[in-house]
Amino acid sequence: MSSEGEQTVKLVSSDNVEIVTERKVAERSMLIKNMIEDLGAPGEEPIPIMNVSENVLKKVLEWCAQHKNDPAPTQDDDADSRKKTTDIEEWDQKFMQVDQEMLFEIILAANYMDIKALLDVGCKTVANMIKGKSPEEIRKTFNIQNDFTPEEEDQIRRENEWAEDR
Amino acid sequence: MVKRGAEEAGLDADHEAKRVRPSSRDHLSRLSDELVLRVLSYLPVSQLVLCQRLSRKYRVLAGDGQLWKQHYYDRFVRPRASRLPGLKDVGSSQKSLHFASKASKWLDEEHLIKRGGRTNWKRQYKLRHNWTSGSCAVNEIQVAEQAPVPPVIVQMHDGVIYMADQADGLRAWSAKSDRKMLAQKGFAHDGSPPTSLAVDSISSDEKISRVVVGFENGSFGIYSLDHAHSAFSHCYSHEPSSNGVVSSVAVAWPYVVTMTATQLLSLYKCNSAASSAPSPPRLLHSLKSHTVWPPLTTSLRLTGNSVVVSVAYAIPTYLSGWTVGVQEVKLSRTGDLIDSRISSAIDQHYRPLAFASQPMTTHLTPASGGLATSTTLELRHIHTKPTSLSYPHPYLLVSHPDNTLTLYLVSSTTDSLSISAGSRLWGHTSSVSGAHVGGRGKAVSVSKRGDELRVWELEGGFSSLAARKRLAVGDLSVRLQPETKPGSELDTAQAGLDLVNRGSDNTTLSGLARVDDADSDELTLTRGWIGFDEENVVVLKEQSQGRQALVVYDFT
Repeated sequence: MSSEGEQTVKLVSSDNVEIVTERKVAERSMLIKNMIEDLGAPGEEPIPIMNVSENVLKKVLEWCAQHKNDPAPTQDDDADSRKKTTDIEEWDQKFMQVDQEMLFEIILAANYMDIKALLDVGCKTVANMIKGKSPEEIRKTFNIQNDFTPEEEDQIRRENEWAEDR
Repeated sequence: MVKRGAEEAGLDADHEAKRVRPSSRDHLSRLSDELVLRVLSYLPVSQLVLCQRLSRKYRVLAGDGQLWKQHYYDRFVRPRASRLPGLKDVGSSQKSLHFASKASKWLDEEHLIKRGGRTNWKRQYKLRHNWTSGSCAVNEIQVAEQAPVPPVIVQMHDGVIYMADQADGLRAWSAKSDRKMLAQKGFAHDGSPPTSLAVDSISSDEKISRVVVGFENGSFGIYSLDHAHSAFSHCYSHEPSSNGVVSSVAVAWPYVVTMTATQLLSLYKCNSAASSAPSPPRLLHSLKSHTVWPPLTTSLRLTGNSVVVSVAYAIPTYLSGWTVGVQEVKLSRTGDLIDSRISSAIDQHYRPLAFASQPMTTHLTPASGGLATSTTLELRHIHTKPTSLSYPHPYLLVSHPDNTLTLYLVSSTTDSLSISAGSRLWGHTSSVSGAHVGGRGKAVSVSKRGDELRVWELEGGFSSLAARKRLAVGDLSVRLQPETKPGSELDTAQAGLDLVNRGSDNTTLSGLARVDDADSDELTLTRGWIGFDEENVVVLKEQSQGRQALVVYDFT
């Protein structure tokens, strides 16, 4: 039996580009890991990653390569013990310094490919973009359309005054 | 400033231009709701409320129950785990099982879930937030132009305030937003004034609340409030008895307990069948006590197949002034005495003082309750005579005229009953006339003039190091800070504001804004009655002219 670290898998992006990568790297994605287990013969059959384009897939695999030796995520650390800190480790911070388009593509891809740790990093990055900003600044940052009348918005502001930092 | 303005204008123009270009879409909104919630879950509460202002979509998402539930648990539920003694060693001994299960119930905040329907977690969070910061809106309900003699007796349960007095009979007010009178029923007979009042807080019947009123002539009446029809109906009146004033009553339907001034404790069982043809309650048991002094409070607990009657009372002692005692009487459901035991928070070698005069009931001694009488004068150097006493098991909270409160923890197991040494609570800057403690160790106290209200978190007592630390730094209570709500009745809210803000330095207090200028020397006295539930604190306030009002502190 050959060592798993040297095995490679072939992935196909949504725009039909083939990418060959180390199996261990690709298996950071639970989607790919499960597919490989289902297919049984890794390396031969290309695995289609339907919703992710080449440039995004490459970026995601870059992250997976960096984190390929991370301990496997534990199953049920989701809601309860998940630390609500938005601290992001340095390499990931640099990795996430991309334009918004790419940032959200990465989040969507991480969600689709089931890479929880990457999804967390992405969501934390977005949360950090929201933190400390006023509603108007947040709207500008993400191009969110304000569909409130000024009166309605003021009403919500007054309802929530108690919770604002003073 | 000008430059910044120009910049912003430029940005806006840019923004407009961008909007038509497909490249600058609203990226955040491309995410599924689930993913947006994941992003929002990393934000603190102060930022979540800002996100609610972004757009309709984000108003809903950032108000999501699961997000707020998480914050609610993180801030209010989990930290309490460390405060509850014995929670860590749940199940280690059989004795603690009963209370252990209770503790886990507190932690789960079961009451929020069982209430039926969905819990509005944001609302719950706000409620608890306001309690911890002491911020609330204040409203008054005028209850009497003239002071009734004897005074009004008040109880509060589940958002309804119950009052009994000779002139107006039994009345119920809603403590909720509209604050209107729900029902009224005059006392039928000869006009013996009511001296005690109890509302059944244990029964799970949501349509009907049972109320028991005790009278000066030793009789008592049972009433029920039908919530759907907002009407009291009179179920039963017991004959006047020679045992004197009914000084305390308690009800846990179908059981009723009365305590008279001659210290006779009686347990009755009512016919729980249809109220249309009420049969007289059956006397199950009666006991005479020789050690019980007012102020006292009785309570009833129903366990599997027994009824536990507890009487908490004040005892005078040599050397150590006043302390408290608890008598617990356990009876079978048919009235057979199973067990009766007594405990007090004093060392063995102290002996109760024998007093020459008969104890009076608190209800009949007018508001001087805070002042030491001649008999107690020599004792006040250590523990002054309590002004009020509140005992929902296991907390026994006593207020003193010397600006302090004392908290005792009562532990009741199958083979022992004991009261911990008292912990003095400091914080008030004037005489404390009333205190009330609720089921989860939240307590509210009011000073004699009604100008200072404090909310205490007493859960778990002071057995843990962290709690003792809080006790030492005086970080246990929060003073209520009423705020005016725009649009609500400004004048009454303002009155409450005056009341609290001026409290510390003024000897004269104006009770109401309406009389603010005219009678600025009018004194506001509280009778010492105070009650609260999840959302409101209610204080009965009396002015020197005799006008009485209920002050409702609303935390929602």
